[in-house]
Amino acid sequence: MAVFVATEATLFGTIFGTYFYLRFHTTNWPPRGLPEPALTAPLILTAVLVATSIPMQLASLAAQAGRAAATRALLALALVVQATYFGIQIHLFLDDLDKFSPSGSAYGSIYFTMLGAHHAHVAFGVLIVLFLVLRLGRGLTRYRTVGVQSAAFYWHFVNVLALCVAATQVYAAL
Amino acid sequence: MTLDVRAPEHPRVERLEQVWEARPGLLGWLTTVDHKRIGLLYFFTTLAFFAAGGLEALLVRTQLARPNAHVLPPDVFNELFTTHGVTMIFLFVIPMTIGAFGNYLVPLMIGARDMAFPRMNALSYWLFLASGIFIYVGLFMGFGPDAGWFDYVPLALKHFSPGPNVDFYALGLILNGISSTIAAINFIVTIFKLRAPGMSLNRMPLFCFAMLAVSLALIFALPALTIDAVFLELSRKLSFQFFVPGHGGDPLLWQHLFWLFAHPEVYIIVLPAFGIATSIIPTFAKRRMIAFPLVALAELLVAFIGFGVWAHHMFATGLPTITLVFFAAATLMVVIPSTIQVFAWTLTVTAGRPEFRAPLLFIGGFIVFFVIGGLSGIMFAAIPFDQATTDTYFVVAHFHFIIFGAAVFPILGGMYYWFPKVTGRMYHEGLAKLSFWVSFVGTSLTFFPMHIVGLIGMPRRVYTYPSGLGFDSYNLIETIGAYVLAVGLVMVAANLLWSRFRGPFVGPDPFFGGTLEWTIPSPPPHYNFAVIPTVSSAYPNWDEQDRAVDARKLELGELTYESGHETPTSSVRDGALDEVAEMPSESPWPIVLALCAAVALTMVLLSHYAIAGIFVGLALLALAGWHTEEPEPVA
Repeated sequence: MAVFVATEATLFGTIFGTYFYLRFHTTNWPPRGLPEPALTAPLILTAVLVATSIPMQLASLAAQAGRAAATRALLALALVVQATYFGIQIHLFLDDLDKFSPSGSAYGSIYFTMLGAHHAHVAFGVLIVLFLVLRLGRGLTRYRTVGVQSAAFYWHFVNVLALCVAATQVYAAL
Repeated sequence: MTLDVRAPEHPRVERLEQVWEARPGLLGWLTTVDHKRIGLLYFFTTLAFFAAGGLEALLVRTQLARPNAHVLPPDVFNELFTTHGVTMIFLFVIPMTIGAFGNYLVPLMIGARDMAFPRMNALSYWLFLASGIFIYVGLFMGFGPDAGWFDYVPLALKHFSPGPNVDFYALGLILNGISSTIAAINFIVTIFKLRAPGMSLNRMPLFCFAMLAVSLALIFALPALTIDAVFLELSRKLSFQFFVPGHGGDPLLWQHLFWLFAHPEVYIIVLPAFGIATSIIPTFAKRRMIAFPLVALAELLVAFIGFGVWAHHMFATGLPTITLVFFAAATLMVVIPSTIQVFAWTLTVTAGRPEFRAPLLFIGGFIVFFVIGGLSGIMFAAIPFDQATTDTYFVVAHFHFIIFGAAVFPILGGMYYWFPKVTGRMYHEGLAKLSFWVSFVGTSLTFFPMHIVGLIGMPRRVYTYPSGLGFDSYNLIETIGAYVLAVGLVMVAANLLWSRFRGPFVGPDPFFGGTLEWTIPSPPPHYNFAVIPTVSSAYPNWDEQDRAVDARKLELGELTYESGHETPTSSVRDGALDEVAEMPSESPWPIVLALCAAVALTMVLLSHYAIAGIFVGLALLALAGWHTEEPEPVA
């Protein structure tokens, strides 16, 4: 999982790189006429998402200690928060699409691609946790313990990404 | 069939045969997770793509043999040279060295029974096959990629390339990239965790160091290409503006991201070949590799420094001078680790008692071509020279000397070298040596004149040229050379094919190699090692005492792990025994998942996004199904 995260992190590295490359090739950022990113809702949501690293890590530790019920409960808690986050973010994403378009400017293109890539990784993470919650219904095995540990690591990575994405949004609003 | 040179059937060996037996028939091959079978699948598939790419090259050369020729229409010419490049790089060289040689040999060289993630291994093969089919379907439908293998924008955008050609390119490369990423992850974990007890990192074969360097490079380089291709498809399909200056985009963004990937890619191409060379040389020079730790470090350094030189492909794009100077300096630096290796190889041969059998001949050819190609490469570090020769045949000469000379020649040498291990038979030595000389002459005739014709001004990627510019005779020689080279390659293929069925049987170690693959029978049994070997040096097959100890362990049942489908894992640095891993057997999920991914991308090509989404969903379900196959707990 660590190596997989390394490659996905690099993928986001290139996305952030592109973001700043385009930014420094443009005078006005966002371009005139386009709204600056909203900050309040996204920042609160990001904070909530990052907080799910706590139950994920606790679930990982519980799994390694062999406590199946605790693991399942912690994962379920994380899942609910992560899924809600995802739902709200999709709503905000669609809202943004009404305000400006990815095909109107490079700013729009990188904005929606960056957010889209992040949400895709969140969605995948939600599905992984859901899968684990279901599988743990049949008991905790060594294989599933490794699964929980890997999922926790993946989610820490996604949460760091969320912070980076939020940071670029803050940057654009400055 | 093959001579059974295995030890008489010991009950533990019988049990291993039972546990590791392969599922029979076609279904067995479609669901295989055995690294040797997957290696063979890669081998034959990449050979087919090599032939296709070679045919494309011959057609290109035939068109260019005479001035003002019209052997092919110009748009077909564009498809041919583009697909030639894409095929040779993404569908031949990388999958051959990593997928075929790497997959087959790495577990054998480190004393393991399979790769760390056997099902992921199968997945990377099926994804690779899908990517190749995807691109070639495009070609056969008349929509082959046609904007050059680096597919620059704005040519690649919808306005100038309205047909689906570029979409086949971009989506095919995304699929190919996923395949290579997965393979790289597998190699890194295998090399770090599955080495035999006692094989500390400094005792690991240099071939494995090369695979490690390559895998790390792939992990960090592929995302740049993937995101570039994604940006391109978003631009083409949904009118995103990454590359359009009028809307805040920049065409150079494509080039930066592309070369951020593609420069490390050329080291990815050449590093496994270095690994093959460093395997063949000690065996035929009959001594250890000189400066082993320096060579290992040099392999890793080439990959690392290679990330810092990408803009030397962009010297003619109008970047600021300070930028150009930085990259020129970095380019000069990257030469250093390569040179260390060249000296180490050459000195090892001269300091040993070399036996110039066919594999070593091919490595000799490799060193000659690599030095020439490297010299022309350094010349490009001089910015004014680069700006004068960019997009001329001088560049074509340079990279073909490197790719053909420094990647393909070791592959050919490696094919001969490991042929006895894979088949249990010996190739015909006389024909092999002849095939070397014909290939050597053919390569030289084809690519050397390109230096000259490039310096006198012939641009690359031109469909034809007028007579009277001094290009004519050079192009004719190059085309003749290409046909000679083709003959040489056919001789190699014929030799191997004939010997597979009629060659004399040989034992497990006909060349007295130093690494672990030579300790097991030829062809290797499904479980590779009856006893996981204990290693105390970098050339374990030359340590007779250790091998005798292993033989006694079979009696005692130590390190045999025959109760289940098992292989041991070990610590990263020192190779100290860790826990036992239970390995999966045949599984349908890899091919199913690959199929779903391929169909999903095909739907994107056809702009049926909703259906693409459905297939992504199916792929995720396949991934879930995959993870319901759990190992039985180890007793």
